Amino acid sequence: MMRQYYYRFLVILAVIAACVYAIYPPEKKIRRGLDLQGGVHVVLEVKEAGEEKQVSDLADRALEVIRNRIDALGVTEPIIQKQGLNTIIVDLPGVQDPDKAIDIIGQTALLEFRLVSDDQEMLSAALQGNVPEGYQLLYSREKDDRGIYRETNPLLIKIEPELTGQYIADAYMGYDSSGFPDVNLVLSKEGGVVFENVTANNVNRRLAIILDGVVKSAPTIRERIGGGKAQITGRFSADEARTLAIVLRAGALPAKMDMIYREVVGPTLGRENITQGFRAAMCGAIVVVAFMFIYYAAFGLLADFALALNILILLGVMAIMRGVLTLPGIAGIALTCGMAVDANILIFERIREEIKTGKSPKSSIDAGYKRAWSAIIDSNITTLIAGLILFFLGEGSVKGFGLTLSIGIVANLFTAVFVTKAIVDWVMVTQKIEKVRI
Amino acid sequence: MELIKNTHFDFLGKRKIAYVFSCAVIIWGMVVFGMRGKENFGVDFVGGDMLNLEFPAAVSAAEIRGDIGSLDIGAYSVQALGTEEKEFIIKSAPGTSVKIIGFFREKEAASPEKNFVIKGESSVAPSMSVSLRKKALYAFIVGMIGILLYLTIRFEFRFAAAATFAIFHDMLFVVAILALARKQVDASVIAALLTIAGYSVNDTVVIFDREREAIRRTRSNDYVTVFNNSINETLSRTVFTALTTLFVVFLLFFAGGEALHIFSLSLLIGIAIGTYSSVFIASALLVDWHKLSPHKFKV
Repeated sequence: MMRQYYYRFLVILAVIAACVYAIYPPEKKIRRGLDLQGGVHVVLEVKEAGEEKQVSDLADRALEVIRNRIDALGVTEPIIQKQGLNTIIVDLPGVQDPDKAIDIIGQTALLEFRLVSDDQEMLSAALQGNVPEGYQLLYSREKDDRGIYRETNPLLIKIEPELTGQYIADAYMGYDSSGFPDVNLVLSKEGGVVFENVTANNVNRRLAIILDGVVKSAPTIRERIGGGKAQITGRFSADEARTLAIVLRAGALPAKMDMIYREVVGPTLGRENITQGFRAAMCGAIVVVAFMFIYYAAFGLLADFALALNILILLGVMAIMRGVLTLPGIAGIALTCGMAVDANILIFERIREEIKTGKSPKSSIDAGYKRAWSAIIDSNITTLIAGLILFFLGEGSVKGFGLTLSIGIVANLFTAVFVTKAIVDWVMVTQKIEKVRI
Repeated sequence: MELIKNTHFDFLGKRKIAYVFSCAVIIWGMVVFGMRGKENFGVDFVGGDMLNLEFPAAVSAAEIRGDIGSLDIGAYSVQALGTEEKEFIIKSAPGTSVKIIGFFREKEAASPEKNFVIKGESSVAPSMSVSLRKKALYAFIVGMIGILLYLTIRFEFRFAAAATFAIFHDMLFVVAILALARKQVDASVIAALLTIAGYSVNDTVVIFDREREAIRRTRSNDYVTVFNNSINETLSRTVFTALTTLFVVFLLFFAGGEALHIFSLSLLIGIAIGTYSSVFIASALLVDWHKLSPHKFKV
């Protein structure tokens, strides 16, 4: 007889132990979403028309490039995913410098070496709108004293590149002869040969180094350059040069990408969200706990214990599933507190009704649990349907909310029914209770 | 302690009043919703930029409005957070927040003691917003079908349809009130609406469960009496579950900060309305449906 009580307590203790183990230490085990720790979330879309297969391939290649770039940036736990045919999602939690991260992800980084036309007459004609075939007008971009970029120094440049970033074997930041940061390129073997030929055939002409359609520099070729090395100079700050080296090393994006969604949460806002969210959830829990005790006495305490266990299980399962806790997720937990006690309210109200019909305490309690069960299971499953759909079809914080809500409901069935019944049965048997106050 | 016991309210006798009240609010709200057009939606549903800036010293919202107005970037809105007038939410057309940041950086360069912080930033392209809207609608429809199927299996089709209709009622009601209060619907409101759907149907199902039990036990055809009794028997639970949940959401609303404001407001309205519809609308629909086509409920 007593063995079945011990068996149930064993299950409960095992669940508690597993959850505590899964959660501890919480700062490490519970992943926080962007809104709680700050960071960057962007969605990029391949901006190129074409057949589905082609666009999808482009997106795959872009994904690889972006992954390489982000690896170089050293973000912990980034999420880089292709979604649908032509979009890529990038999640960078905890990034300290969001502007830089966005710059690194979004830059196409198409590097080209192209010859400049020296013909001044053709250049002035082109500026009038008369661009000769095979050429185009490109500008360099300079910061003025107010820190705003302006396009300057028009150059007439051949459309056909002599060499592209494809031939880069390595790129790193260095300093030029006057001490300004620059980017040093090491060309691949093949690229070195091409570069040597181009420089040999075009001595005294200018070779423009163009990044994403902007002229970075256009030095004059003095002599044939062997050894496969080149520098990009162009008034970089050390940070800009370092960023450029990263993107050049990872390679250019295979197509232009549009940033169709961008969300940046600063670390202060993340901290505020976490304190405010938790304060609200804690206050809510305290009010519910107090109400249950006042209204249902000892049974209320039982429901409160079930509630605490529910939250513990919820966090434990989140940690095991590597789920992300978001701000709406905290709201989901708070809401679970409100709804978790609902199952107990249903049971307790039912027990009161059964007692009024004159049944003994033991059979009133058994009947109360039994009769309330159909209402509990039906109402929880319908809510679970809504929660699961939010989790599977929702995105970002909505997804996080769906996850906490769903886990909360399943945990609720265990804690509010199984756990409370186990304790009530054990108390009834060991204490020989004659009369129940509820 | 026991506060609500042995009640005998005639909820279903007053169903006409409930119908009129619900229709009036929903129609009024929908008219306002229709008139507001794009105004109804937050940046994630129509595309746009949102900036959350904090200045080291108090600035008036009017000053910021003037500053941004001089940039010629189309429509924008400036909203101060809190009472200190240091933190602001600035909403503007897609791709224009860069210009606003650039402007304040420039202004800051002129007076070195000021140093504003970008606390948060988001930018949604119109093409992205279309896909977000589609996804939200898709999630909603799939959810409704799931709930309808489950309840048809557990009860019968008329019960399932009445519960689903009550969900629609609650959502329309919430959207109507948000429109009347001039609030904007964004992704968090969709999450709130789906939660309300879950809560409201939960509430309705508990009452339906009691009605199912009473129909099986009494085999009575006088559904008005049977349902009224069931609603009264579960009233204590309905009220206290609503109250505990409302307490929690109330605290989220007041202490949860700006990020949860519209989310918790929607929940607050939705839980109240969900409770109201479970008591006054859902069972009333069953009674009237039975009047129109008098087949016994087989549950």
